[in-house]
Amino acid sequence: MKQKKKRYGPAFWLLGLCLLLGTTLVHAQSNFTISGKISDGTNGETLFGTSIFLRGTDIGAISNEYGFYSISAPQGTYTLVFSYMGYNEMTREVVLDQNMTLDVELLESSTQLDEVEVTAEEPERALLRKPEMSVSKLNIKTVKQMPVVLGEVDIIKSLQILPGVTNNGEGSSGFHVRGGAVDQNLVLLDEAIIYNTSHLLGFFSVFNADAVKDLKLYKGGIPARFGGRVSSVLDVRQKDGNSKEFAMTGGIGAISSRLALEGPMFNDRGSFLIAGRGSYAHLFLKLAGEDNSANFYDLNLKTNYNLNQNNKLYLSGYFGRDLFNIGGSFSSSYGNASGNLRWNHIFNDRLFSNLSLIYSNYDYELGIDFFDFDWVSSIQNYNVKYDLKYYFNDAFKLDFGVSTIKYVFDPGRIKPTDPASAINELQLDKKRALESAAYINAEHKLTDRLTAQYGIRFSHFNRMGGQPLNEYLNDRPLVYNNTLRIYERQDPIDEVNYKKSESIETFSNFEPRVSLAYQLNEFSSVKLGYSRAAQYIHLLSNTSSVTPIDVWTPSGKYIKPQLSDQFALGYFKNFKGNVYSMEVETFYKTVDNRIDYIDGSDLIGNNTIEREILNGESKAYGVELLLRKNEGAFTGWLAYTWSKSQQRTPGGDAGGPGINNGDWYSTAHDRTHDVSLTGAYALNEKWSFGANAIFQTGRPVTYPNGQYQYEGISVASYSDRNADRLPAYHRLDVSATYRPNRKPQNRWKGEWVFGIYNVFNRRNAASISFGQNMETGANEATRTAIFGIVPSVTYNFKF
Amino acid sequence: MKPFYIVCIGVLLLATSCTDVIEVDVPEGPERLVIEASLDWEKGTQGNNQTIVLSTSTPFFAEQKFAPVLGASVKVINTDTAAEFTFASQNNGEYTTSSFAPIVGDTYQLEVIYNEETYTATETLYPLVDTIEVSQSKDGGEDDEALEVNVTFEDPEGLGDHYFLRFKSQNDLLSELYYIKDEFIDGNEASFYYEKLEGEDSVDEFKPGDVVDVALMGISKQYHDYLRLLVDQYENAGTPFSPTPVPLVGNCVNLDNPNNLAYGYFRVTETIQTEYTFE
Repeated sequence: MKQKKKRYGPAFWLLGLCLLLGTTLVHAQSNFTISGKISDGTNGETLFGTSIFLRGTDIGAISNEYGFYSISAPQGTYTLVFSYMGYNEMTREVVLDQNMTLDVELLESSTQLDEVEVTAEEPERALLRKPEMSVSKLNIKTVKQMPVVLGEVDIIKSLQILPGVTNNGEGSSGFHVRGGAVDQNLVLLDEAIIYNTSHLLGFFSVFNADAVKDLKLYKGGIPARFGGRVSSVLDVRQKDGNSKEFAMTGGIGAISSRLALEGPMFNDRGSFLIAGRGSYAHLFLKLAGEDNSANFYDLNLKTNYNLNQNNKLYLSGYFGRDLFNIGGSFSSSYGNASGNLRWNHIFNDRLFSNLSLIYSNYDYELGIDFFDFDWVSSIQNYNVKYDLKYYFNDAFKLDFGVSTIKYVFDPGRIKPTDPASAINELQLDKKRALESAAYINAEHKLTDRLTAQYGIRFSHFNRMGGQPLNEYLNDRPLVYNNTLRIYERQDPIDEVNYKKSESIETFSNFEPRVSLAYQLNEFSSVKLGYSRAAQYIHLLSNTSSVTPIDVWTPSGKYIKPQLSDQFALGYFKNFKGNVYSMEVETFYKTVDNRIDYIDGSDLIGNNTIEREILNGESKAYGVELLLRKNEGAFTGWLAYTWSKSQQRTPGGDAGGPGINNGDWYSTAHDRTHDVSLTGAYALNEKWSFGANAIFQTGRPVTYPNGQYQYEGISVASYSDRNADRLPAYHRLDVSATYRPNRKPQNRWKGEWVFGIYNVFNRRNAASISFGQNMETGANEATRTAIFGIVPSVTYNFKF
Repeated sequence: MKPFYIVCIGVLLLATSCTDVIEVDVPEGPERLVIEASLDWEKGTQGNNQTIVLSTSTPFFAEQKFAPVLGASVKVINTDTAAEFTFASQNNGEYTTSSFAPIVGDTYQLEVIYNEETYTATETLYPLVDTIEVSQSKDGGEDDEALEVNVTFEDPEGLGDHYFLRFKSQNDLLSELYYIKDEFIDGNEASFYYEKLEGEDSVDEFKPGDVVDVALMGISKQYHDYLRLLVDQYENAGTPFSPTPVPLVGNCVNLDNPNNLAYGYFRVTETIQTEYTFE
């Protein structure tokens, strides 16, 4: 198969430059190093993103995901300053005349109650200088403060009120980043890939806020250590578990309850966390005499063990499940499961490493009683990763590593549950693939004002054999019929059986990633970024919202890897003594090889997906504004995004005009305007309040442009894809948190959270369907609104 | 087979939400010719009497749903025997003949001349199983309390059979349309039910004495694909779990102005029709 010509030139140049710089810097060093781990003094959780700097110098560092830091400076006496959002700043005098280890514990700034203070990402000087851009980092405490529907703290919904992130309407799964599709987000929970982020079709996210430590969303400028998706990376990390004392947190809500236990173990050499969550809405439905039920549960586990100062093991797991039952005749269950074993090893005060063995699985099961059959589909992957970070000196740090993922796709099996069933057994062809990558990335302070991050990822995808594959005349599974003006599925002319040792197709790509930060002055900076990313697996979905039944498929003979190029430019400013901050970013993103589905495509239980798709491209561009108030009794932000997301699908090899006559059309998740205003006000120690106001342009839909009579019904005619829009979406939510009097000596801390979602009870259209009234025969437009006004009460506790 | 599972997921979501009928401004597309040319040969009859209906499309919310076409010329040719059948206008949009001669396996060509443009379509007369069994039950279907009517037939061994099954309760205005392919049921005895559930679209359940018209047709694969899209979009278009609605393209081609395509379809089938009265 022919492939796009790869851009070896600049990639090698970049790699060479970075190695060259590395070696010169190594030789230039005559410094000493301080390294160590930073953790929370009350529960022992390591702190990611702590800023460390030497007062009176420009030398600084940020702690990594495991709390590790390393800082190098010439011999001398220094004041080391450690600061982390919501924590008391800590200073240490050090006499630096040899390499040394310094582990530090920070204490939360509010000694009374940690929940009162809402502090968003601290606008530090270091952040202005850091080339990292297009990143949203949310503290779990901030997330917990936001008003939410039905009182459930929801990470995904909280992300959606940041600029550049939207959903596809209430009750829809997943999220969209900068005009990207749901399957273009890499979602990691403790490094394990999560394939479906929603419970109950999008009502809740799969992340239990009590088990999550922090999360980071990369909307662009994706670091070279991540790969495999073209739009974004959501990196969610679970808590390690309290290593100081036994603790219990939980909450009782209207829809679900949760409980988390954590504490030290292995004679204080480690700790554990176990968190569970379950819904009981199905009980209410049953009590109300409904035959239908829907519920979910999930379980998070984590434990770690300190072998010694330089070696630490982590074991984490997640298991979540959704269960549906409709009148006893239809049942469905689906969910993610993942496990991860990690080994942190510190070679020396400059070289940190982590080895991960990761398993993850998503499966969907369906039973249909009245036809006596079961349907099962799944995707599984095994992943080995080795990541290293070398701290050459204050001006130069290097990340590098390798990763390989083995995938097994089972697109579906139909199994009769009764010998008398009219349905025949069917197994769609299982698919296998191996995705490997190596990367190197440098963070390099070029001058006092200019910092660069540059790196490259080399990715390789091997679509493995072990399955039959159809061959078509002239390699065309679809051909446009010029007379009938439709795409016609071709009959295979042959079937080729690939052996397990054979490759059906291989792909490789160099993915350069570069960003630059130039500090204009103490309070402002400009940043510039470019990144290329390749995506080798695709979620097949021709519905306006993705559904749990949608299956993933690997690239191969007929589906090419998606390739994105993104350019971003940003301006960052802190003002009024860092009380306020402003971020403005603009982006332009293109994606090659984005597939779309022909008119009348049928994806369910289909073994020959190549006969349902055409290859196209997509593009998105926009401007994002984020204005934040970071300190004081009142905190919050205003986020505004203007953007456009479009795709184009010409006929290509199949001939004909393609989809929508080959013209550009809006993607199903294009939102022109997206505004959100979020505020939190701490009145006193007992009461605090929060509010969200949201406005979004309605999502693109296709409306009928006429009707005619056929077979005794009124048939609607439709024209251009996604040419119309639902009415604009807006709503206001409020919440109040009450913390009763607490005696300082009491360990039990409780709080009541009262919330009202959609205060004005606006009936936002999640969809509008067109049909015929069965009694009168008149055509009607029917609006579906998911949530009207929803009051909720939740009780949370800590012990 | 219909995508029942998708519908079911949707049902649950909708159960927790609320729906209402609203006014929406929809675009207005060009007016097009609609050809409902369904030459159905009922087993056991001569099949001489056939009707083709011509109309034009109207705006989606228009009061007038049916705009008959009067001045067209309509004929059908058996391309195997070269026999020609002319359909005469009844001045109400219907064009009829009483001399049609159906032959299983033969190919027929439709020709319609309207507004000086010629539309043609070609279709083959597909055979159908000889018998179907119609029965009633309560414990099948989605609701164990509600009556349903069942149609059972034996699919012949060998892939490639497609069916169109239509139910219409004589108390109701609209029909229930099913498209069936033998991909999953090949060579088996297959049963399909029609059950009406209380509360859905203010429909009444079936009760003893109700009469249902049942029709089963053997159809081409291409017509099956057309019907699948037609029925799916008719029932679900616009709901979050249905595909984006798309133009429905039949087999009638405009030879003079290809962009001015015609809606509808030219089908030639063998059919079994019967009436069932609930006991």
